[in-house]
Amino acid sequence: MIFDLLTTVEAGGCSAKIPPRLLEEILSDMPLPVDPAILVDTSTHDDAGVYKLNDDIALVLTTDFFPPVCSDPYEFGLIAAANSISDVYAMGGNPVLALNIIMFPADRIPLEVYSEILRGGYDKAKEAGISIIGGHSIDDYPPKYGMAVTGIVHPDRVITNSGAREGDLLILTKPLGCGVILAASRMGMASDEELNEAKRYMKMLNNEGSRLMQKYNIRGATDVTGFGLAGHALKMAVASGVTIELKMKNVPLMSGTYEYINQGCIPGAAFRNLDYVEQDSVFSNGVDYNLRMAACDAQTSGGLLISVRSADAKAILDELKEFHPESTVIGSVHKKGESSLVIGN
Amino acid sequence: MKLVDTKGLRCPAPLIKTRQALNEASAGESLQIIIDNQTSLNNIRRFLSDNQIAFSVDERNSEWILTVDRGETSTVADNAESYCSTASAAAPKKTVIAITSDLMGSGDEQLGQKLIVSFFKVLPMVQPLPSAIVIYNAGVKLAVKGSVVEEYLKELENMGMDIVLCTTCLDYFGLSNDLAAGRVGDMYQILNIMNEADNIIKP
Repeated sequence: MIFDLLTTVEAGGCSAKIPPRLLEEILSDMPLPVDPAILVDTSTHDDAGVYKLNDDIALVLTTDFFPPVCSDPYEFGLIAAANSISDVYAMGGNPVLALNIIMFPADRIPLEVYSEILRGGYDKAKEAGISIIGGHSIDDYPPKYGMAVTGIVHPDRVITNSGAREGDLLILTKPLGCGVILAASRMGMASDEELNEAKRYMKMLNNEGSRLMQKYNIRGATDVTGFGLAGHALKMAVASGVTIELKMKNVPLMSGTYEYINQGCIPGAAFRNLDYVEQDSVFSNGVDYNLRMAACDAQTSGGLLISVRSADAKAILDELKEFHPESTVIGSVHKKGESSLVIGN
Repeated sequence: MKLVDTKGLRCPAPLIKTRQALNEASAGESLQIIIDNQTSLNNIRRFLSDNQIAFSVDERNSEWILTVDRGETSTVADNAESYCSTASAAAPKKTVIAITSDLMGSGDEQLGQKLIVSFFKVLPMVQPLPSAIVIYNAGVKLAVKGSVVEEYLKELENMGMDIVLCTTCLDYFGLSNDLAAGRVGDMYQILNIMNEADNIIKP
């Protein structure tokens, strides 16, 4: 390898997000736009903004970038791009175009690393069938990479955080644990196989999940990233005005995740997320501490969290499993109770 | 006494070492964990209190020494079945502290000042940590630069406590530009915080 990108960072990927509590506070002071064409803005904490162009087409706009999550620049490019594009998929959209966003210290890291990161981005964009038509670069350390992605969706078929309905079941399409595994790998605890598994999931596009969501008329979904399963489930519950119950024992975890949490390998981002979710959450009696922290583990390029009518759950699950074999029902949606999120075993 | 030195280590290494030492310690053996950064301190505290392990914190020269008395009752569960949180059946109780004066209690001014310093010194060690402090009337004098409790307030703020200062009071005393910690709030915010509290402590 020409250069180990992990030597530049302490926390990478979506772990590097601003604490959700702070972010909500800052955003609450910003004026919300008033334009009837805006279908989704920041008020529901969705993955992307949606703007209606005409009766058939709405634009889905999103951006995401972060510092390195792995040593290899090409793999970092693949992961960052998959993560950026994922927000369009999470809204049920078809990604079309992207702009690169790159921060890179030209005098401190070989330029070859720069082109390897971009090559990863271009390859992932190609896989997603989108074109990169520009970008912006800044000299900065540590390096950061991501994209601003534009997609399209039918204005009546936008899938949002606020579309979960009482009686729905929740499906998660990728296992949790990449925050823990990345930290464990840096601590010399995780094996190469475990790290490679985590990277494989992070590189995986959510395109098939998105297509199936449209096929089954899904209205509520999000992708699980920096705020962890618990954080994103809470945002969905609040936006939908419901209570979500997570069954942590049903949640698939990447190999090694439970054991490393049990050994105390809990990234700081998980504590930040715990701090955020507990204001409006209940941990039901006896919920395993390690599973509780797994629910708060920050994911990079995580899976889709899909709210599906219980009658359709089996059918969509069967189809999802072709592409995401670990897809499984991990929770349910209920009438709004005292807390918006209930985390149980 | 077992010593765990986490100086120079970044998150989550200090927690991993703590967890390991807890596993290895025999029943009744106490543990001292030396920590040199606020994030690790917060996370280890959180880990211990979530697992119902009693501890105390001592700060010396910008290092913290966390002492854990590992009695028979404070074992960390190793598997899902045996871990049972006692306080988790309902949402945690919200405690709010109302500081209404720059002194604690009434009777003697000098004593009152001594007590309020001591109150803020001990507050960061209280478990569970109250969720917010509202400060009004002459209490706001405690939150300005150079105050006798400045460092403790900053510490509490770093630990995530919401510290809200009465804007009218700051204006009244002409202190609006000298804040050392906390955020400014109006009566509506202060009343809402108190209204949502399960307990209010007024020293």
